Amino acid sequence: MTRRRSRLLAEIVTVLVAAAVAFPLYWMVLSALKPAGEIQSTDPRPWTWAPTLDSFERVLTVDGFARYFLNSVVVATAVVALSLLMSFLSAVALTRFRFRGRTVLLVMLLVAQMVPIEALTIPLFFLMRSVGDVVPAFGLNELGSLVLVHLAFSLPFAIWMLRGFVAAVPVELEEAARIDGASRLRFTWQILFPLVLPGLVATSVLAFIHAWNDFLFAKTFIISKTENQTLPQAILVFFKPEENDWGAIMASSTLMTVPVLVFFVLVQRRLVSGLAGAVKG
Amino acid sequence: MTAPTVRAAAPRGRRPAPPPKPPAAQRWRRRGPLLPALLLTIVLTQIPMLLTVFYSLFSQNLLRPGSREFVGLANYADVLGDRLFRNAVFNTVVLTASTVLLSMALGIGLAILLDKKFLGRSIVRTLLITPFLVMPAAAALLWKTSIFNPVFGLLNWVLSPFGVDNVDWVSRFPMASIILVLVWQWTPFMMLIVLAGLQSQSPEVLEAATVDGAGPWSTFGYITLPHLRQFIELGILLGSIFIVQTFDAIFMITQGGPGQATTNLPYFIYQESFRAFDVGEAAAAGVLVVVATIIIATFALRVISNLFREEV
Repeated sequence: MTRRRSRLLAEIVTVLVAAAVAFPLYWMVLSALKPAGEIQSTDPRPWTWAPTLDSFERVLTVDGFARYFLNSVVVATAVVALSLLMSFLSAVALTRFRFRGRTVLLVMLLVAQMVPIEALTIPLFFLMRSVGDVVPAFGLNELGSLVLVHLAFSLPFAIWMLRGFVAAVPVELEEAARIDGASRLRFTWQILFPLVLPGLVATSVLAFIHAWNDFLFAKTFIISKTENQTLPQAILVFFKPEENDWGAIMASSTLMTVPVLVFFVLVQRRLVSGLAGAVKG
Repeated sequence: MTAPTVRAAAPRGRRPAPPPKPPAAQRWRRRGPLLPALLLTIVLTQIPMLLTVFYSLFSQNLLRPGSREFVGLANYADVLGDRLFRNAVFNTVVLTASTVLLSMALGIGLAILLDKKFLGRSIVRTLLITPFLVMPAAAALLWKTSIFNPVFGLLNWVLSPFGVDNVDWVSRFPMASIILVLVWQWTPFMMLIVLAGLQSQSPEVLEAATVDGAGPWSTFGYITLPHLRQFIELGILLGSIFIVQTFDAIFMITQGGPGQATTNLPYFIYQESFRAFDVGEAAAAGVLVVVATIIIATFALRVISNLFREEV
């Protein structure tokens, strides 16, 4: 009886915490829907009686918005797909195979991630300019340059995250599969891959978010070809020297959050299905 | 860095009867398919790092074209002698350590609550994850303009019945304000990692514990927590690395101020490279951030492993 009551209490606490945590997001959507005069008022009521889509309209009619949106989708999707493939294969190699320098390599992956991007942007700018002379698709002003950079920054995290999942799959399972005549490839894709899936989901969420939200690299690398700009740059239009357009800023932030939310909701089911079920099956 | 040589490890003495080494050709057939991915990963991830080290050894200012020359470690000496840099190091340590530890504590709590099934769990989980999904720059702006603002802000509006009036939170408590925003933003990350750990627990082991008469607390203390340890450590390690890099929140909310009160290392580097265009010193500071991160992460990990030692 007390067990059940404390359980119920815990659930109520969880729901309340969740509501508090998500409140700023609610506020963002609310500000996007409020009519112009209500947004910055001394009486910031957490509701509005006159919701309007005016702010969204101002955002969606920005020149090239659809194009920027598409660019962001292309970059983020390419980064997620490539980083999943490469980090999964690398994590298997780094966990299952023993070779000299393995630990050093793992540590170096993490160290690489510690360099602040503010220190890297200008050196990478020069590097990408040289890369562009050899492979135009990865040069400055091209979406390829953004994919490469984001890939470099999402791989270390992905590999470290996946390593634990790969290590958790017993070697005996691998040997049993081999005895049953399963090829290495078949074992990797049909047994190992599903077991590592929750880890892949977590890493793909992070890779997607990083690529999607990036502002600094997009601004530095895409200089003259404006048709290759990404979404965060579209928001800049609403920061004006005389007065910022808060409604439009909140509306564009809301629009930027939607794809990430959709992506997360689509993949989150995999987070719960977890290892337990897969091992039994 | 030397290229890693792929070679079978010498058979370990502890293993009973090691299987005979497969012939080299067969080993390579097993490993071969994974090598391209691994090599590409090494190249892609290490180049930015090497590039930073390289640039840190040159004096180069973009405002003076052709000013590039090799100066050895002079940039490091300049940066380390800079009082503003030492201040930024201190701020970074405070910011990172408090954010990592607070968000991990909250993340563990929430993950445990979410691990059990209840009505609306997936909605609650999605709500809890939202801070992580909003673009950091947009989130920071939202906190600054809608919550902390002394006149229009929600915080003062909510607290006004309790006699709080027109407090300018950001200028009175700059560091605490930034930490609050960062904890809000990073708790979901920690929660996700711990949750993944909780769900990779074998249900058989938990069942066995229940059968053996272990209560919920002892099951948690003796089985769940040790199992979670590697996930908690991973969260702390990766969390420190990411949080040391905090830039958007500071850029948007305090601009490093008031004075230098919230200038952390990335913001210091930003000022060096995008305002002073001193690429060499910015790169040297970048390398020093790596050193600082290693120190902070080691410290955070030590704190947590001490906790475990007392716990178990």
